[in-house]
Amino acid sequence: MNQDDLRPHVRDEQPPSDAVVVLRGGPDTVTKLAGHARRTNAAYCLDGEPVWGVSVFAALDDVGPASIDGLLAHRVVSYRLVHTPTIGSLVDAGFELLPTFRRPHFTLLLSSDAEHDLRRLLNALGLPQVNPYHGSRRR
Amino acid sequence: MVTVDITADLNDEDETGFVWTFLDEARDPSLISPGAIVVAGDADAPAVAEVVDVVDKPAGKVVHLRLLPGVIEDYEALIRRALTSAS
Repeated sequence: MNQDDLRPHVRDEQPPSDAVVVLRGGPDTVTKLAGHARRTNAAYCLDGEPVWGVSVFAALDDVGPASIDGLLAHRVVSYRLVHTPTIGSLVDAGFELLPTFRRPHFTLLLSSDAEHDLRRLLNALGLPQVNPYHGSRRR
Repeated sequence: MVTVDITADLNDEDETGFVWTFLDEARDPSLISPGAIVVAGDADAPAVAEVVDVVDKPAGKVVHLRLLPGVIEDYEALIRRALTSAS
C-alpha cells in the first residue's frame, strides 16, 4: 500500500451522542464528494484496507473552538454554506464516523466511491445552511 | 468565477492540523512553495491560504495550507484600494 494508515490517527475517546451536530463546509455535490473521498482514498488506508471518506467537524462542546459557533466562526468560516446534520442522522443513514487527527475532526466513512454511496451521503448531509459568520468582518 | 491555484477540500486536515491536498492538484505546481500565498479550495468555496510546507508522503507530495482570515472578497478589495491609492 502506498498510503498512510488512518488507524494510528484515530483518537481514543467516547463516541459523541446522536444529538451532536456535525459541520461540513459546502455546498457538496456528488461530484465534489467523489473527488474528496477519492483524495482520502489515495492518501490513506484503514487497517491496511482501502478507505473512502470525507472530513467533518463535530460540535462536541457547548462553547469554545469545538462548539457550533466556534466552528462556524473559525474552522469553516471560509464557507458561505455549511451542511449541519447530526451524528444520529448520519448513523441512521448507515455511515460511520471515525474520530481522526485533532479534536473535533472526524472522518465520515463511505463503503465505496460508487455513485449510489455518494448520493446517499449527499442526502444524509442535508441541505446546506447559511454560515452567519462568513464574511462577517465586512459588515 | 474564481480560479483556484490548488484544488482542496478545505474541510480536510491531518495530524498537523493544517488543510492538506496533493501537489498534483495545483494548476501550476511551481507556484506552490512554502510561504506562497495562494487561492485554495474550489470555485464555490475558495479561500486565501499560505503554503506551510510540501512534504513527501507514501502517496505523493502533500501540501499543507494555513487558511488566512477573511474571505477572498476582502483581499480583492484590499488590492483594489492599494492600486487605486497608488495611481
